[in-house]
Amino acid sequence: MSQEIRSELRKLVERGIESGASYADARYQCHDYELITVENKILKSYSSRRLSGVGIRIIMNGALGYASTSDLTRTGLERALNNAIKIARSMKIEKGGLCESRVNKSDVKLSVKMDPFEVSPEEKVSITMDANKAAWISDEIKSAITRLGLSKDFRYFISSEGAELSVKTYLIGLGHESVAKVNGVMERVPYSESMCAGFEFIKSKDWNSFASDISELAIKAAGSKTPPPGTYTVVVDPRVVGLLLHEAFGHASEGDLVSSGESVLHGKLGKQVASELVTIIDEGTVEGGYFYPFDDEGVKKERTVVVKDGILKGYLHDRKSALQFEVEPTGNGRAQDFENQPIVRQTNYYMQPRDYEFEELIEDIEFGIYVRGKGATGGQVEVGMGTFTFGVGPSKIIRKGELVETVRGVVISGMILETLKTIDAVGKDLRMRTSVFGGCGKMGQTVPVGFGGPHIRVLKMTVGGR
Amino acid sequence: MSLAELAIKKALSKGATEAEIYVQRRKTVQVEFAEEIESFKTIESLGMALMVALGKKIAMYSTSVLDEDEVSEAAERAVKIARVSKEDPHWRHVNRKFGRASAEGYYDEKLKDLEYEEIIETLTSVVKWMKDYDRRVVPTRGILSISTSKILIANSYGDECERKETNIAVWVRAKAEEADMKGTGTEHQESRFWKGINFQDLALRTAEKAVKFLRAKPMPGGKLPVIIRNQVFADILGVILSGPINADWVQKGRSPLSNKLGSQIALDNVTIFDDGTMGGGWRTRPFDDEGHPTQRTAIIEKGILKSYLYDTYTALKEGLESTGNAFRRRYWMPPQPSPSNLILKPRRASPEEMIRETRKGIYIEGTIGEWLSNPVSGNINATVTHGYLVENGEIKKPVKGVIISGNFYELLKGGIEIIGEDLRNSGGNYSPTVKIAELTIAGK
Repeated sequence: MSQEIRSELRKLVERGIESGASYADARYQCHDYELITVENKILKSYSSRRLSGVGIRIIMNGALGYASTSDLTRTGLERALNNAIKIARSMKIEKGGLCESRVNKSDVKLSVKMDPFEVSPEEKVSITMDANKAAWISDEIKSAITRLGLSKDFRYFISSEGAELSVKTYLIGLGHESVAKVNGVMERVPYSESMCAGFEFIKSKDWNSFASDISELAIKAAGSKTPPPGTYTVVVDPRVVGLLLHEAFGHASEGDLVSSGESVLHGKLGKQVASELVTIIDEGTVEGGYFYPFDDEGVKKERTVVVKDGILKGYLHDRKSALQFEVEPTGNGRAQDFENQPIVRQTNYYMQPRDYEFEELIEDIEFGIYVRGKGATGGQVEVGMGTFTFGVGPSKIIRKGELVETVRGVVISGMILETLKTIDAVGKDLRMRTSVFGGCGKMGQTVPVGFGGPHIRVLKMTVGGR
Repeated sequence: MSLAELAIKKALSKGATEAEIYVQRRKTVQVEFAEEIESFKTIESLGMALMVALGKKIAMYSTSVLDEDEVSEAAERAVKIARVSKEDPHWRHVNRKFGRASAEGYYDEKLKDLEYEEIIETLTSVVKWMKDYDRRVVPTRGILSISTSKILIANSYGDECERKETNIAVWVRAKAEEADMKGTGTEHQESRFWKGINFQDLALRTAEKAVKFLRAKPMPGGKLPVIIRNQVFADILGVILSGPINADWVQKGRSPLSNKLGSQIALDNVTIFDDGTMGGGWRTRPFDDEGHPTQRTAIIEKGILKSYLYDTYTALKEGLESTGNAFRRRYWMPPQPSPSNLILKPRRASPEEMIRETRKGIYIEGTIGEWLSNPVSGNINATVTHGYLVENGEIKKPVKGVIISGNFYELLKGGIEIIGEDLRNSGGNYSPTVKIAELTIAGK
């Protein structure tokens, strides 16, 4: 980032204060992104882009104004500042308060061995192409899509309080999706693996067998049945545990949703919200998760204990919700990009492991389902009621303590607080995930997140399917 | 010379045989509110995407930095990527048929000039209508988004076109609480015009739902007739059909509708079409994101599969002409075939009649997770957040938390018993209320 922009932004923040603002900050971001897509052995697209711009936030007479622009000329920046001021003036409500926060000054870089944007286009295409070719393991495979995603994100933050931070991080990964058709039944299995790392991560893994494994699973799933709908004892794999916690519990623990009253966790601080085996953490930097040392309001993101032994200990906060709750900010004020204001978001959200081996989790189950995340299509939640629905991947029936046949089209649903209370065993194997191919959406903003947990056993889970 | 011309010229000078540029300038005003205005912001976004071809090698580069240096660099980078790309044997050329269809109602001068104060006043009324409806109602979240865009498309064959469009979308959620009970309501509307949004209707429906669902409970499972509200079925229609009718999916063998043109895939009461020219439609415009004129395309006519949706690339691959369905989801994404306004043709029944003729069933007003439905297999799965038990032709108690499942392609062949008259949109998907003969319900 040029010194020129740093000094332009410093001036912009000063001008905001001179215009009568009590607080001003400016965030510059430059995001490079490459996505290589190979479909059915053809390089479908190699898209490469750069997005950069500035977001300006000001507080004036207690009202908050926000404006952003990708026009980085002096006129463009001034127009954005004026828009922010105009908004703050039209708002008649005092809504812009921020809690006290330590003023941080730091420049942080994720350390990588190989910058993925320095690797030749040829090499990146050939890795993606080879993985795609490896997916065609039989005539039953009807379609295969492979993607290589690379992201480099640089963020700079400066505030009228004196904070000045920059964070540079990389996120890269490979995703693959196979569609199989067996006896007229088609099944789609998408899966990906990503890491905050340099290109060495891509070099270290055998993506050809990664893709062919997905094809195998798709064929197996297409040839299998859906489970009979009902309520079962289930064992849930780390990916689904992470997804479930993040979507159905994590969002409900976000301070803004709690204070607006739409979270099912509203008013539950200090109360039991899960089985006593459950401890839930949100943490800025965890192996396998997303790298997030500071949030987009300049607050350091450390380890936040949300649930300890089943008791709700705290919520996640940005500086606004921390003020409302009269607590310290937890470093969860995150923005998708410069076009968006920071809002309360999770970072790396996970359940702490305990002591069960996987075999011990399933051995006592007479009839149940081993719910698996590989091939999951996503989920949705109503945070107000805590209801969730997830389309999970091809899963396994558990019969008399053994994993037996595969089932497809499995949909799990329930009320999160009831589900968490019926957890009667927690495994020892913590696994985290993150993804360069999308992330978590909230109020129109998508941010990369990490989530995970160990295997767990849930006594009652509603399973749909057909 | 404009930046677009510069980019094209630069790409050609670096060795490109063709180039196409898409430039977008958009201003968005976005307001979030609950009981009060929570946040208000403006976004000015500039961006361009340059596509270059070197013979049959294609590449794209995009950037939000629109100055001469970056545009030149973009052209250079795009050509560099194209050089290492493998030839696409199906590539013919960029769109060369520019033109404007006679489409109306995609730009609203009023939206462009709306004062921030008027927006704040309107939303303040929305909150008041909800609270006045019932003292137990609390608005918990709402989002209003207004955008004004200017789009320019040009290519190295000298074609160029430009359009302006506006969109407004509003989404509201409220809750109602009494003792231990809690109900929520959600509603949304999308339009091209400020006047196209009925804020009062939106507020009252949301509040009504929240109150009615205070006592909602799951119900026992089984197989029952299901009446699905227009906007909810519109979502299902979009989730299931958008992919399979996309020529790209068809050509790649991903679509379950491959090789079925001309065959009866639905009862003759089903007609589904795509219309990029529909007056005031959410995705109406005179030309698509490649500059090709838009049109009305029959997809299923009286049960017979008539056509898929094409952009230039997929059309030329089959020696056909584009149906004007090239869409770029964001300016930096390559064009892809996608429905514009996807419409299930309404018939005559009203939702009231459907309910009256149902002995036992569910009327569904709201679901979550319908997008988990699988377009390939046609399996529909959704969790009902707002449903009503229907008994002997009357709406009875509210139901939530049950999963409905069924197969869309089987429904087309006879499962959709009645198609209503009340066409409504959820974004670009348009449907009337429908009655399904039977769906599986997983309950408690």
